[in-house]
Amino acid sequence: MDQAFLHTKKLLLVDDEPELLKMVTAILKDDGFENIILAASVKEGTAAAEIEKPDLAILDVMLPDGDGFSLMEQLRSFTDVPIIFLTAKDEAADKLAGLGLGADDYIVKPFMGQELLLRVYAVLRRCYKMDRKLLKLDGCTVDFSRAEVHKAGKVLPLTAKEHTLLETLARNEGKIVSIDSLCEALWGDNPFGYENSLNAHVRRIREKIETDPSKPVSLITIKGLGYKLNIRK
Amino acid sequence: MKAFGKYISKHLASFAAFNLVLALLNVLAFGITFQSVIRNDYGDTSPQTMLEEIAAASTVEGVSDDARQKLESAHIWAMFLNQGGNRIWAVNIPKDIPGDYTIQDVALFSKGYLKDYPVFVWNTEDGLLVLGYPKDSYTKLTSNYFSIHAIQTLPLYMTGMLTADFLFLFLAYYFSRRKIIRSTEPIIDAIETLSDGKPVSLAIGGDLSEVAGSINKASRILSKQNEARANWISGVSHDIRTPLSMILGYAGRIADNKTINSSVKDQAEIVRQQSIKIKELVQDLNLVSHLEYEMQPLHKEPVRLSKLLRSYAVELLNGGLSESYPVEVGIKPAAENVILECDSRLIMRAINNLVQNSFRHNPQGCEISLTLDYSEAAITLTVADNGVGLSAEKLRELKESTHYMESTDERLNLRHGLGLLLVRQIVEAHCGTMTIESEPGQGYQTVLCFQVQASQG
Repeated sequence: MDQAFLHTKKLLLVDDEPELLKMVTAILKDDGFENIILAASVKEGTAAAEIEKPDLAILDVMLPDGDGFSLMEQLRSFTDVPIIFLTAKDEAADKLAGLGLGADDYIVKPFMGQELLLRVYAVLRRCYKMDRKLLKLDGCTVDFSRAEVHKAGKVLPLTAKEHTLLETLARNEGKIVSIDSLCEALWGDNPFGYENSLNAHVRRIREKIETDPSKPVSLITIKGLGYKLNIRK
Repeated sequence: MKAFGKYISKHLASFAAFNLVLALLNVLAFGITFQSVIRNDYGDTSPQTMLEEIAAASTVEGVSDDARQKLESAHIWAMFLNQGGNRIWAVNIPKDIPGDYTIQDVALFSKGYLKDYPVFVWNTEDGLLVLGYPKDSYTKLTSNYFSIHAIQTLPLYMTGMLTADFLFLFLAYYFSRRKIIRSTEPIIDAIETLSDGKPVSLAIGGDLSEVAGSINKASRILSKQNEARANWISGVSHDIRTPLSMILGYAGRIADNKTINSSVKDQAEIVRQQSIKIKELVQDLNLVSHLEYEMQPLHKEPVRLSKLLRSYAVELLNGGLSESYPVEVGIKPAAENVILECDSRLIMRAINNLVQNSFRHNPQGCEISLTLDYSEAAITLTVADNGVGLSAEKLRELKESTHYMESTDERLNLRHGLGLLLVRQIVEAHCGTMTIESEPGQGYQTVLCFQVQASQG
């Protein structure tokens, strides 16, 4: 997976438990994140966010001088930074899941390092597109800025839908993206019965990016679930 | 509650039977009391007997000595009138009784009294025998006639009256039974609800308000205890979470560290695996206790189960699932667009618990299949594996035994996880059904079935 471009992002961790902060920092550093700011309260968190301007904030729900929700409100007054909540309470998780407070994701304690990393990467990928606009696939290159595919010396233009579809898959490279998520990306909310159109778009993209469209190696079908884009290493 | 209705019927019926017996007893007591009187009235000195006896013993000339003696001993006077109304002879005759009578006199006294003496007459060939009983010994009905019609309708009247009596008795029984059941029904229902461990609130006025008050009080106490228990579980599970995060995190770091020797890494992996078990237990425990005491708010919304199942599978596969657990998702065309009103988080949790069970029982790996089907207004979600399965005995045990969370029997096997109990509670909270099927070596499958009311989208 090519996620290295995300490692330069600045992360803000707010938790009143110093041991937990230490551990989360270690997990994130192990995986390549270098820029990590720590805070232990709502006050410290707000101050740090104002000065450091982080790219992602991971907030504990229970803080000594207020809760994570009020911290989020304060942050929202000056920044649109993506937020992941950490919570030890199912009730808080219910609140997060049920109300959609504007947080990007939440993690219920206890969590595994792998789970934390997955969610951090997922939110970062969703919020920060790849800086490089060229996508190297097996046998071709996709230029997102010009919406073109360069294959065997030929230049093939991408339609708007094909562009969106490829970009959604590229953002989740190496991961399965469900039919439903793809339909939502293409046609918005409540995309009932678009599966056939989706298949048609996938077919046309394969004709442009695959060396042999009948034996795809980049855009793979995961039967019954969705699609996956493999990027050349 | 049927038992209570029966109980009331039984008691009302025995009350009615008691009434009948009482009526019969009255008749019997009446009979015994008046028997002596009646025997006397219809005995040796009764008018009928005396008339017959005296008539037989008397002629125009007079009466036999025996008869005369009998009359005297019974203080009865007698006289014999000829066809002209003149007294021929008399026995014991009081002074104020005249000797001759006109036809009007005879007509009057034969029906009633002669100078206040109740008199009785007997017709003979030669004349009229008149017996006079002491004053105030007999009363005579002066209007002693009934129309034939009245006599004829008497049996009909009697049966009608009896039937009506029984009918009224039955109606009284029926209505009082209904009234009692109506006023006690809410109380009985409340007690039943309470015995299921669920809270009740009764609003009853009148005679039974005190009972209702006691039941409400019992319910409040029960709720308070349940709430305290759930809060306690909630608190403990909350306090375990942060330290457990730390254990998981560091064990993971050691296990994934490439510079450490493999035996230490293996041990760290064991710590991680066991911590994951505690993590699952803690998560399930809290939800189970909340569902148990109905403290878990259900966030029901229209959910396309096909989408939910796919997103679950995608998350599972993207989470780095081992190669030895291939997952297949099969959604029947009929089920694709079916909408179910449900709490998607809870349904997801149920599916995950079933899948995790398959992983746990098949460490050697197995195929997992998630399928969705729709027919006859019911959507069926099947989680199946082709792993080791269960023996018939184990399967029966799993289906029949009470979970230790819901039992006070200390001999129960405590090694059952909470996973399946939670699945069952989630299914019940959605008014669905859960079926477990398994055969040794043939895999294990759980079928969740939910009724879909709304029309499909």
